[in-house]
Amino acid sequence: MLELRLVQGSLLKKVIEAIKDLVTDANFDCSATGLSLQAMDSSHVALVALLLRSEGFEHYRCDRNISMGMNLNNMSKMLKCAGNDDIITIKGDDGSDTITFMFESPNQDKISDFEMKLMDIDSEHLGIPEAEYHAIVKMPSSEFSRICKDLSSIGDTVIISVTKEGVKFTTRGDIGTANIVCRQNKTVDKPDEATIIEMNEPVSLTFALRYLNSFTKATSLSESVTISLSSDLPVVIEYKIADMGYIRFYLAPKIEDDEEEIKS
Amino acid sequence: MLFRVPIALHSLRCSCLPPLPLSSFLKNPNKTPLTFLFSSSQRCTMASGRTVADVLMGASRAAAAKKNRQALSSQSENSSSPTKKPKALEPPSASDEPKKLETTDILIELRKKGSDFDPKAAASWKDGDPVPFIFLARALDLISNESGRIAITDIICNVFRTVMATTPNDLLPTVYLSANRVAPPHEGIELGIGDASLIKALAEAYGRKEEHVNKQLQELGDLGLVAKASRSSQRVLYKPQRLTIAKVFDTFRAIAKESGKDSQDKKRSYIKGLLVAATDCEPLYIIRLLQSKMRIGLAEKTVLVALGQASVYSEALKCSTSKNYSQTLEEAAKIIKQVYSVLPDYGKIVPALLHVGVLNLSEACNFSLGVPVGPMLAKPTKSVSEILDKFQGTEFTCEYKYDGERAQIHYKEDGSIEVYSRNAERNTGKYPDVVSAVSRFKKPEVSSFVLDCEIVAFDREKQKILPFQILSTRARKGVILSDIKVAVCTFAFDILYINGRPLLHEQLKVRRQELYNSFAEVPGEFRFATTITSNDLEEIQKFLENAVSSSCEGLIIKTLDKDATYEPSKRSNNWLKLKKDYMDSVGDTLDLVPIAAFHGRGKRTGVYGSFLLACYDEQNDEYQSICNIGTGFSELQLEERSKSLGSKVIPKPKPYYRVADSMNPDVWFEPAEVWEVKAADLSISPVHRAASGIVDPNKGISLRFPRLQRVRDDKSPEQATTSEQIAEMYRAQKISHMNNNDEEDDE
Repeated sequence: MLELRLVQGSLLKKVIEAIKDLVTDANFDCSATGLSLQAMDSSHVALVALLLRSEGFEHYRCDRNISMGMNLNNMSKMLKCAGNDDIITIKGDDGSDTITFMFESPNQDKISDFEMKLMDIDSEHLGIPEAEYHAIVKMPSSEFSRICKDLSSIGDTVIISVTKEGVKFTTRGDIGTANIVCRQNKTVDKPDEATIIEMNEPVSLTFALRYLNSFTKATSLSESVTISLSSDLPVVIEYKIADMGYIRFYLAPKIEDDEEEIKS
Repeated sequence: MLFRVPIALHSLRCSCLPPLPLSSFLKNPNKTPLTFLFSSSQRCTMASGRTVADVLMGASRAAAAKKNRQALSSQSENSSSPTKKPKALEPPSASDEPKKLETTDILIELRKKGSDFDPKAAASWKDGDPVPFIFLARALDLISNESGRIAITDIICNVFRTVMATTPNDLLPTVYLSANRVAPPHEGIELGIGDASLIKALAEAYGRKEEHVNKQLQELGDLGLVAKASRSSQRVLYKPQRLTIAKVFDTFRAIAKESGKDSQDKKRSYIKGLLVAATDCEPLYIIRLLQSKMRIGLAEKTVLVALGQASVYSEALKCSTSKNYSQTLEEAAKIIKQVYSVLPDYGKIVPALLHVGVLNLSEACNFSLGVPVGPMLAKPTKSVSEILDKFQGTEFTCEYKYDGERAQIHYKEDGSIEVYSRNAERNTGKYPDVVSAVSRFKKPEVSSFVLDCEIVAFDREKQKILPFQILSTRARKGVILSDIKVAVCTFAFDILYINGRPLLHEQLKVRRQELYNSFAEVPGEFRFATTITSNDLEEIQKFLENAVSSSCEGLIIKTLDKDATYEPSKRSNNWLKLKKDYMDSVGDTLDLVPIAAFHGRGKRTGVYGSFLLACYDEQNDEYQSICNIGTGFSELQLEERSKSLGSKVIPKPKPYYRVADSMNPDVWFEPAEVWEVKAADLSISPVHRAASGIVDPNKGISLRFPRLQRVRDDKSPEQATTSEQIAEMYRAQKISHMNNNDEEDDE
């Protein structure tokens, strides 16, 4: 028996919108502590990890751990039918091959039930070790999104380098090059608007912008984004979900020598 | 080491076991984390390295492996020096990975001659394990650098032997992939992927933009190379499982079977899966296989010969001397080619080969109803006297050579009927009228048959054969009986199978008798090919003229009862064809000017793949396109032509070039050279502009099957064949083609 009631239903809608382009099918793992998801994109280059802790739900009941395979596109279709202010309840019965999304309008005058078929997804759970990162950059999520979007109109890869001066985003394309430097800036009204750079070692890594742009679909979930970089490690891009958990994207770097390739 | 850190910190997020999500784990922090983590991480690594930590290690591991390799290779160099190390001192590290062989060693092994080759030495996997795809990919790569047929045969033969010796179950997919097929031709299963789809899949799999892929494609000229280059520039979070030959083949099959809604998307996701898991040169060959364009000089015939030879070696057929050995090899190659010609289905041949061996293969694999064989073909001759020379002393017969579509009709005991094209494509959907006519022309007692025949467009009112061009206006598939506008008549001339009995080994005389006994002519629907049996020169000449005047292409001359068995897919000496165009007008060559070219792909990367030729119009002082030409070049010639024309490239076509708008060559040339070209035929063309306005007000004339003969150094472009000459040639051909004054048949 499973029953998760989320007052802020729009949150779930945003989460699904943020990851559905990256992965088409994924297992939602539900346990007493929360709802989580881990999935790799089909090219094995990016991984998304989602956690929504049980405390964030108004009502949370999960009798035993279950894993539910869902097609995210279908899920998105159903969640789109929920109003932005609706309360969403996820319900499932033991042994059932479906799951129900219930949408309640704020004043309780409309209740909709959507039942979705579950699917068997063969996926491996990866161990994600905690690691020490050479550099951790926290910046406004909208700013990061803007940078990725702008750069992708010039080139298809970005070099993210962190030095004492700040964090630099560089790209190169047929029409020219682009450099954007963001400096540390803590003197802002709201802490979310600050740009904070913690650096142990300078680091510079190349990534495919295509994936970063896909990650920034999570921008609406959080005012700020944390980018953790280490040479030889996948970058971690984390959006905190207020009071509930996070959505993290891992992305494998590109191999440097392809700079020449772009040039030629 | 990075990997240790998380263990020491006992990161709580390391949950490898699917049924044990991290949250439950978080809830019980007292659960002896160290042991748990240890065992789980153990499990992770056991499951062939499936933690993100592994990824992190990937680079350093690769580096370490590289170092090891260097160390190893320097060791092997040492060992080749006179002071050989005693066996006992072999470094124990070698036993760690006893099966891990150096790529170069494998490649050297594969290049060995058959008799020196040790099939186990090239295998980097254990007996019975699925054969990794990289093994085949590397071998293909090796082949692409060879040009000699014998060397190529040796390599692919060694590949087959290795597979036979280790994992015989993988032989079938290996053979299929080597032959670049997914299924026997008659099953009609094709991959059906366009370059656009491949580019999209490639971009998605490697996180690139399609435009960038396209750009690189122009530089490299081969999508496979683009894939290879893209693969090496993006790291992955963890390595997917290695591709195996069986996996690749199964995926190809799955791609080929995908149809209907969203099939392109599904195909793409299959391709992505393959590309993501591919490493080294694998992407190159996956793409080329998917394109069905290997272009590495590995012909299907070579695959067959190699398969036969591999079987000889692996069966270790006893032979006393090496001369006998080579005879056995030759014999095996012959057997397998013959077997494939009567049963072109690897799915039946390969298991039989493994089961009974190559020498008994002919008994195990026979002509079967429902599996079309390649039609027997005829060799061209120039004159009736040549035929009399060739067939001196044997009885022979002449048949009209109808100008239609060759078809093989299979009729099974259960009443099902299939019509196959000369390429074994299923054409049943194109000819529902032929299918429905079967019950009318077959005699009631006939329970099963295979007919070899020509389907010809036919005017039933006038009882006249129509030219091939009319037949080609028919829809390709899904033709509905009531909608048919172009009626056809089936002209049967041979029978391969009757009432459960194969007739391939019977002489033509016997087969023909069976044909006449089992079928009856139905006016306008089914006829026997017109024939005479004569050895009188004049009589045959007359017969030929009659054939041409009844809209046939010429004659086929066949031996009757000596060497007169049916030889599938063979261009046999026992069948000769005498076509009108070997004899008259177009026997003449044309002198034409190359005005544009298309970039070559695959093997022709770097040179031009084909050229656009034009004739000269004296009236308007312009060059009019007449055909594309891509055959008749030796590699050297192609390179020379590409080089010399490369200096004549101009950015835009000259204003005095007459070319259809739809024609988009990659480069244009100054009119500079004159090439002598031979062609089979002239035909009216909506695309080419030669002599347009002379013969047809809007359409031009084009050449069918042009071949380069030589370069005319002694002629200038203005001295090329003129459009007036071409119009004349066309008229001359038409007169010999058409029945005297029947002009309206032209339309």
